[in-house]
Amino acid sequence: MLRLLATIRKEWQLLLRDKTGLILLFVMPVVLITVMALIQDAPFKDYQDIKFDILTVDNDHGRLGRYIREGLESGGQFNIIDSLEGKPVTAERARQLVNEGKYKISIIVPEGATAAIVSNANHIVNDITKRMGMSVSLPVKQQADSLNVIIYFDPAAKKAFKGAIHQALDNFLTQVETDMLLGRIKQQLKSKDSVANATDTLPIRLQAVGLQEHSTGTGKQLDVISNSVQHNVPAWSIFAMFFIVIPIAGNMIREREDGSLLRMKLIPGSYLAILAGKMLFFVGICVLQFYLMMLVGIYVMPLLDLPTLQMGQHHGATLLVAAGIGLAATAYGILVGTIFKTPNQALNFGAISIVILSAIGGIWIPLEVMPAKMQLLGHLSPLSWGLDAINDIYLRNGDIDYVWKNVVRLILTGLAMLALAGWMEKRRLN
Amino acid sequence: MSGITVNELYKTYKGSAAPTLKGLTFQFEKGKIAGLLGPNGAGKTTTISILCGIVKSDTGEVFIHGLKQDAAHREAIKRLIGIVPQQIALYPQLSAVENLTYFGNLYGFKGKSLQQKIMHYLELFGLEASAHKEIHKYSGGMKRRANIIAAILHDPQLLVLDEPTAGVDVQSRGMILQFLRDYNRQGASILYTSHLLEEAQSLCEEVVIMDAGKMIVHGNPLTLIREHDTCNNLEDVFLHFTGHGVRD
Repeated sequence: MLRLLATIRKEWQLLLRDKTGLILLFVMPVVLITVMALIQDAPFKDYQDIKFDILTVDNDHGRLGRYIREGLESGGQFNIIDSLEGKPVTAERARQLVNEGKYKISIIVPEGATAAIVSNANHIVNDITKRMGMSVSLPVKQQADSLNVIIYFDPAAKKAFKGAIHQALDNFLTQVETDMLLGRIKQQLKSKDSVANATDTLPIRLQAVGLQEHSTGTGKQLDVISNSVQHNVPAWSIFAMFFIVIPIAGNMIREREDGSLLRMKLIPGSYLAILAGKMLFFVGICVLQFYLMMLVGIYVMPLLDLPTLQMGQHHGATLLVAAGIGLAATAYGILVGTIFKTPNQALNFGAISIVILSAIGGIWIPLEVMPAKMQLLGHLSPLSWGLDAINDIYLRNGDIDYVWKNVVRLILTGLAMLALAGWMEKRRLN
Repeated sequence: MSGITVNELYKTYKGSAAPTLKGLTFQFEKGKIAGLLGPNGAGKTTTISILCGIVKSDTGEVFIHGLKQDAAHREAIKRLIGIVPQQIALYPQLSAVENLTYFGNLYGFKGKSLQQKIMHYLELFGLEASAHKEIHKYSGGMKRRANIIAAILHDPQLLVLDEPTAGVDVQSRGMILQFLRDYNRQGASILYTSHLLEEAQSLCEEVVIMDAGKMIVHGNPLTLIREHDTCNNLEDVFLHFTGHGVRD
């Protein structure tokens, strides 16, 4: 125990004297997660909080144009712009501005669109009343117009964004047409049943079955959306934790080069106690880093107009995951420090390998948006196991039952790397 | 009684075509100051590493104060040996006291008794005024002296030193050599390697000159000089046996 505690104290003293190491371990990650959360805020907001300007050209001046306008405005996500510099926007000008990328969307409601919908509704009602033996005839255009609401998208707009807008407009069109049809039916039923109470509004519900989103989490329901903070803070924290490879590998190589490793091995007693002390210290540093960055997510991000990090409700599971990530990162540092002969080699390999592991492990962009083959590869990265586990806790309100598999993977990988490092060190001596 | 016995040591490192040790055999008496001398590549470091149990020989045996260097006795031999490597095996960012406290703790010493011992040795080696100064701020001679203290905290009966006076000034060298004589007088054996043959001649009671993994000659330095008419000092003896050719 004395060897273990002495090693922890020695590593602590070394870290306190190493100003660059302290900056690398604690300041740089905070800067990193803040910058990443800020710069990735916009892409995450694409379909959430960002307000888009929509150029609207209403050549119809009827109910459809009004309905589309009110529908888009009520969502709070769009600003409707129908005039520029005091002049109404024309269809040609709208097309040009969207093509130049100055606006993301433009909607052109053609002239006569509402009239076409009314005519279509009248046609249906006439048909129904005729079949019912009634002689009412509503005005119908002899030749049905083939009209389309035209949408222009910024050529750089994402496919998912286009799909969402298409769907919203389609809903508005359907709703207007249904409203008109129901209105006509109500009108006909009223005129037929003239004895009915004048106050009878003949309520007809459009939706018998509604749509409501619920959280899938267990226990207390959470309302956590995957926003920039919710992705970037844990993701880049894991990335920064793995960067502990650099000080550990450098430390190991220096100990080997200056002979202190030899001195430690010549002292009676197991070297494992010394190694365990070193590992405990660095795992502790990783956990400290993790919670420091979570605090930044909770207290600093809101000061920058970013959402507050939600950490879920299972804090024990979070600690376990953080320790598991710390163990894997520390073991990787020891392995890199054992394989390479000079600090420069270890630094370059360590840094590049972590960047690669993080890129394929879903740190930069969520694994779900990667191609299928890359997703398979990504699931082999210890960084993705850590991120999956954290997402399970933070987003799915998962507990230890949710995360134990990933924690076991991290621990077993850590132990395997330590075993490999031990074997290589033995081989080196012989 | 034999302090160190080396019997027919053979060692070839993996990936190396030529063996580093080729049947090396010698014996040093307990309680003596012995020198292991040889040109670069002679196999001195490998021999010391095998003596300390860091490297395993392919064949052959090593006995330290009567204990065979094997798995059964490795821990007991570690308690007997103190090693002063050629590198300054101390943490440069820590002070002498912090370094020595750490290594003392690893030996199982702690508290006031350890601190008293550390201060005693720092005083003995003239480092008490710099006790709390970081090692990287020390001069070369100060680093060498602190390096020795780290090896003797557990009062080893055999002190192994790999070029302990390389790159130090005359005063520091004098202090180190005087300490070794005093430590030897207290009953400890000392095994010492150096390229400074004048120093080895004045310090050692026995020397082994080895080359190409084999022992070339073994004896008291003065006796060896006397035995060879053309030799006036140990350096002449050394050159007589190892030749004037430059080694890699």
